[in-house]
Amino acid sequence: MTLTLITFLPLIAALITLLIPKEQKQTIRLVSLLAAVGQVILAVVIWQNYNPSLAGVDDVSKFQFVERAAWFSVELGGYTVSADYLMGIDGLSVTMVILTAIVALVGVGASWTIEKSVKSYFVLYNLMSMSMMGCFLALDFFLFYIFWEVTLIPMYFLIGIWGGKNREYAAIKFFIYTLVGSVLMLLAIIALYASVIDPETGRNTFSMVAMANQQNFISGSALAPSEGNLLRALAFFALFLAFVIKVPMVPFHTWLPDAHVEAPTPISVVLAGVLLKLGGYGLLRINFPIFPEVFQQFAWWIALFGVISIVYGAFCAIAQTDFKKMVAYSSVSHMGFVLLGIAAVNSLGMSGAMLQMFSHGLLSPMMFLLVGVIYERAHTREMDKFGGLAKHMPVYAGFIMLAFMGNLGMPALSGFVAEAFVFLGAFAVEQTRLLSVIGTLGILLSAAYLLRAYKAMFTGERKPNAAYEVEGHHGEEHAHFHDWKGKVDLDGREIALLAPLAAIVIIIGVYPAPVLDLIMPSLNRVAEILSAAANVAMK
Amino acid sequence: MPEIGLNHFLVLSAILFSLGLFGIMTRRNAVVVLMGVELILNAANLNLVAFSKFNGTMSGVMFSMFGIILAAAEAAVALAIVLNIYARFKTVDIGEIDTMRE
Amino acid sequence: MPNNLPEIIEQVKLSLGAFVPEISLSALFLLVITLDMVLNEKRVVIPMVSLVGFVITGFFTWQQLDMPNQEYFLRMHVVDPFAVFFKFLFLGAGALAVLITMDSEELGEKNVANIGEYYAVLIAMVLGMFLMASASDMLMMFLALELVSISSYILTGYLKHQIKSSEASLKYIIYGAVSSGLMVYGMSLIYGLTGQTNIYEIAKFISANEVDEVTLTLAALLVMGGFGYKIGAVPFHFWSPDVYEGAPTPVTAFLSVGSKAAGFAMLIRFFKVAIPAEPTGELAFDWVNFFALIALVSMLLGNFAAIWQSNVKRMLAYSSIAHAGYLLLGVLVADDLGTQAVMFYLAAYTVMTVGAFYVVILIANKIGSDDVNDYRGLGKRMPLTAAALTVFLVSLTGLPPTVGFIGKYMIFTALLGKGTVFLTLAIIGVLTSAVSLYYYFKIPLNMYLRESEDGAETPMESSAFANALAAFLMILTIGFGLFFTPLANFAKNSVIMLVMN
Repeated sequence: MTLTLITFLPLIAALITLLIPKEQKQTIRLVSLLAAVGQVILAVVIWQNYNPSLAGVDDVSKFQFVERAAWFSVELGGYTVSADYLMGIDGLSVTMVILTAIVALVGVGASWTIEKSVKSYFVLYNLMSMSMMGCFLALDFFLFYIFWEVTLIPMYFLIGIWGGKNREYAAIKFFIYTLVGSVLMLLAIIALYASVIDPETGRNTFSMVAMANQQNFISGSALAPSEGNLLRALAFFALFLAFVIKVPMVPFHTWLPDAHVEAPTPISVVLAGVLLKLGGYGLLRINFPIFPEVFQQFAWWIALFGVISIVYGAFCAIAQTDFKKMVAYSSVSHMGFVLLGIAAVNSLGMSGAMLQMFSHGLLSPMMFLLVGVIYERAHTREMDKFGGLAKHMPVYAGFIMLAFMGNLGMPALSGFVAEAFVFLGAFAVEQTRLLSVIGTLGILLSAAYLLRAYKAMFTGERKPNAAYEVEGHHGEEHAHFHDWKGKVDLDGREIALLAPLAAIVIIIGVYPAPVLDLIMPSLNRVAEILSAAANVAMK
Repeated sequence: MPEIGLNHFLVLSAILFSLGLFGIMTRRNAVVVLMGVELILNAANLNLVAFSKFNGTMSGVMFSMFGIILAAAEAAVALAIVLNIYARFKTVDIGEIDTMRE
Repeated sequence: MPNNLPEIIEQVKLSLGAFVPEISLSALFLLVITLDMVLNEKRVVIPMVSLVGFVITGFFTWQQLDMPNQEYFLRMHVVDPFAVFFKFLFLGAGALAVLITMDSEELGEKNVANIGEYYAVLIAMVLGMFLMASASDMLMMFLALELVSISSYILTGYLKHQIKSSEASLKYIIYGAVSSGLMVYGMSLIYGLTGQTNIYEIAKFISANEVDEVTLTLAALLVMGGFGYKIGAVPFHFWSPDVYEGAPTPVTAFLSVGSKAAGFAMLIRFFKVAIPAEPTGELAFDWVNFFALIALVSMLLGNFAAIWQSNVKRMLAYSSIAHAGYLLLGVLVADDLGTQAVMFYLAAYTVMTVGAFYVVILIANKIGSDDVNDYRGLGKRMPLTAAALTVFLVSLTGLPPTVGFIGKYMIFTALLGKGTVFLTLAIIGVLTSAVSLYYYFKIPLNMYLRESEDGAETPMESSAFANALAAFLMILTIGFGLFFTPLANFAKNSVIMLVMN
């Protein structure tokens, strides 16, 4: 029941919210907060009871907290299509579940200042939160697909209604981009169902676990692993497209800056913190283990596009003057590491990729929260309008410094461990060695744009046309923050949102072992599956 | 004088059909277009009766009987609609009755 | 076929038992006409009587489930599970049409003095659809199709004082008359080639004898003209945007689901039985490729043309062309799975399309417009109706967790694993459905993302009954999207069609 509960708690909250009169804003917020806290508690329970020695991946008996119930069984013409309500956790999903719970809670906290149509907002927010959690837990591809698609609809409205000036464009762009990717996935799912049997029941199955084992493919079926099966490559790319649009990989990234810039702060937080991770998770859980030999064929290209994302994203970030846009492009850049790490096909690179997802899932919400703080106060995000903020907002500057350092991979913070693992892993493999060297450029570049931003906004003196005035006599000026509604530095709520994220970032940076323990067995298993296909391919 | 065979009927019906189709495509008067439709229906009826005579089953004749009746029913409704159109638009030119396209 | 009168009478007597639903509808038709003449207050009584009549007919139809698959009335009329499924569908669509008519101000007392005939014609149309689903003789097909067509011309032009409605009825009858003329001409050619009008006899003749290929192809194309017009597929679609926009909205809703479903029922039976895909004998007409072409063009044209529309009814007209394309994909697979998918999709399509049109009616009642730009700010003013419309549109797009998604899923399942042509069609199908998102979501975009121009925020919810009906359809749409087994199994059991050897 744990997994059902952690998934559907937000749905319950959404239903309760529907019954509350819309004037009672505080009650509505509290209901969502309760659900999110409940999710975190359940995530902790899962974490405490999780047995890291079981790998999972392609063996359903090695999954934990498994819940299985027959969902539907329909005769379609000659054969029966049946899907299960199958949920379970292994090393690939456990960190993501914890991350989702944390980010969802932070998102609720960040939503506290939303005043426009509070009731609808939280209903949609909870629906989105439910479907994200469901994506990470579903082991049945049909179930996964439903959760996957359901994330889009609330997201569209959350960006579209509560977003910035260009919200209509950003919302529909996000929706259509991700939908184009996922409709092709539907065809791949149908073909996979016809080709895979569950070893336990001997019937066709949607189980992603069964699909991850090449032995379960029916020989002679459309997607049977055989020499030169073009359909497998097609299906691989159908899934690949769906996931890399979410990641997002250059050149499919253009929806992301728009969506981020227009989305309200909490939605940016969730988008960057969790939704992008769905792409990386999908690649690791579904795309690559199901079609390992196709993956091997294109591993170098995937690594290449990973590196292109890293470098291109960083260059774009350098070119931005809008703080939020810069952070958005830095997301593109950092998610490139995930691709590079996976494409290295060794446990070092993969654990780096997984760590990067986790670390970026904490750092990017921090960054977007911080952007939100300054935007809420000054109503602008143009970096050159600020200057000397460190003097007036010391706590804020401290958090910014920490987030920037984490993002550019400073040792003792989570970003460093993740990116170091990715580079070491990719460097260890001959075919990605050169690429990993180029990829380090990304770190240099990110240092460039982050430090430049810090310098522009926080050091020095107030700039002309700044978003605030400085008054007083020489030697004793004080900034006059007109229109900042009396708030200058972070208030208690904001610190409460940022501090836990910061704490986890530091803890993992210093002592990553707990996370590594959770993920390593499963990642090793994925690496085995992928390398086995490489050996076959070489023979 | 040569015997009149099946082909004669078929050619006649094909000519009727073509005339009907031609009328429908070229004329803009709604009533004339409906006359074209009648020609097509009668071409079909002629076909049915001729085939019926030459292959000895009665179903073709039966079909054509119903066809004639239906054509009448359809014409009744069609003319009522055309009358109403005339009352609204003061014209029955189908080219001019076009208020909805954007 | 018996030739002497006593035998014929004997057969007709025997057949009457299989004709109870149709008889009941005919009786209902007569009853409504009589009531229309004697009653003064008809706005509530007649629709109620019609609904009760539909329920009774439904009961008789349900009894037909146990009847043997057989031809009746001198081989004119078939009773088989396939027909019964569609009869239920027509009854459902008809009942919904009656319900949504009651709520329409367009057809309200202000505009229409006498509504009794409207319901009578509606019932006649349902009767025609019943006959279409059961027809096993080209003559019967023609008669049934014309009964539906003529009734629908009348309903389309029912608002005879309105310019749009009159114009729509003229366009409808001209296109309809032409295409039925083409169809009859095609049928006469088939009769000439085979000497038969019964579709089973035609099939028997074609498989046993040499038939001139060119003529048969031509005849099949002409017949397809009649069917294509009923289902609203390219290139027989020209009427649909104008008719959808001009007709009273309840009629549009009923046309878009009922007529389309009836057209598909007849199309599937005709092409599956009379000109089968895998013939035993020599057969030239490659109707799979032909349908593939029609389906392809319908999907592309329907979805792309809809992007430019700002009238919601017109937009839904183009979307219905696109849906005809998706449905044809299921038809051209021609196996049981394809047919099942088509049947499921039609049922799904009925729920979501009637739902969408119903909400359009409710909105038009309040704001008096079908233009999407006038929908601004409705999300706040009519929260429940707007939410329902959004669900229907999500379903029409084919996104989970709605019944439209399951319908698309089945169609694509039927297509995969059957070769490159079908795979290509499936890929184009899913991509165009992503395109459809763009125009469908123009409606929620206006309802939720934009404020109304005058900044009005006063709520204007509809009556409790209207809200309940919209909510009911919304729950059906989502409910069947998650738990669709009963409906899918019913469709599965209903693909059984009477086949002669």
